[in-house]
Amino acid sequence: MIPAVALALGVVLGLVLHPTVPIELQPYLPIAVVAALDAVFGAVRAQLDGIFDDRVFVVSFVSNVLVAALVVFLGDQLGVGGQLSTGVVVVFGIRIFSNAAAIRRHVFHA
Amino acid sequence: MSLLVDMTASALEPSYAEAAARRKTSTGPRRPLGDRPPRRRLPLPFLSLVVLFGILTGVAVAQERQSARQTSVVRQSLVADVRDQTGQTDRLAQRASTLRANVSRVRDAALGEDARGRAVAADVAALELVTGGTAVHGPGVLVTLNDAVAPTDASVRPRGGQLGDGRIFDRDLQAVVNALWAAGAEAISINGMRLTVRTAIRSAGEAVLVDFRPLSPPYLVRAVGDVDRMEPAFVDSPTARRFNTWISLYGLGFRVARVQDLQLPAAGALELRLVRPGGTP
Repeated sequence: MIPAVALALGVVLGLVLHPTVPIELQPYLPIAVVAALDAVFGAVRAQLDGIFDDRVFVVSFVSNVLVAALVVFLGDQLGVGGQLSTGVVVVFGIRIFSNAAAIRRHVFHA
Repeated sequence: MSLLVDMTASALEPSYAEAAARRKTSTGPRRPLGDRPPRRRLPLPFLSLVVLFGILTGVAVAQERQSARQTSVVRQSLVADVRDQTGQTDRLAQRASTLRANVSRVRDAALGEDARGRAVAADVAALELVTGGTAVHGPGVLVTLNDAVAPTDASVRPRGGQLGDGRIFDRDLQAVVNALWAAGAEAISINGMRLTVRTAIRSAGEAVLVDFRPLSPPYLVRAVGDVDRMEPAFVDSPTARRFNTWISLYGLGFRVARVQDLQLPAAGALELRLVRPGGTP
């Protein structure tokens, strides 16, 4: 409940305050969001599995975002930024989907 | 495949299980088996990260919307610019043709003074006729070319057909125009653009340009000439026969009609680039 409120608060803050993102960071923002989304889905699933650990969440969240951004940054330097961001989105997309499937099994028992 | 299996198998961070196992060994003996671990107070770093995630998402969404809005604004202003400039070009062209008419009227008046001048004026008039310098009218042939109606169903598309098969290209118009000249046309216009010896028919992207002005289908090719000779000669030309095949093959629009009185406008300014009058060194 508290995390849900925190999440909603964050979204509202982001939409309302709408801080200007430096132009060099703009390509990494969606990637960072997708990476963070993966960590969040993992956390929800772990919570439902009864093995949630906030330290693991913090570490996985931060490392996910940083590694994803780093990979895309390196790709940009090498001229394959677009392809690498596709790769990042695909990998996290698969993980998000399988975690979402596990969450669904927990919630609906189906 | 093992990569995919790996990714789905370790979708949940393995560290969660490890952390849980560590907790169990440290606190396990004091709790009865199957008991859920006691609810822990949610610590600040966790909550602040969740808020951060929310902010990231919100900002990314807002950013995306804003850039989409900006793109459409830029597009709109470009479209307006294009319309504006096209309108201005049309106005200037109209002004140029008015001024040209003035010039030729004044010139004719000046040349009409004596017999020698009148002879020159007649020469000029004849030359203007064939070079497209003056508007002409007379009996002729109207050739209508149009892109094929795009088949909505892929199965109706002709075998081996490619995208763009049903379109009229610059080379098609060139072929038609050349066939008309060969058949004895004396003056030709395409969609109201008078052709001169220096008019280029070419394409840029998907648009056909005549005299560097983009045209859009249907293409109306008007040719003034001796209809009784020109029409059969054109219809019998290889080009026209090829187009007649394409009607049934691709559904192209191709129609040839005789017209009693065709009106052809004058071409734009005819400037000589290399030719010098004879007699001067």
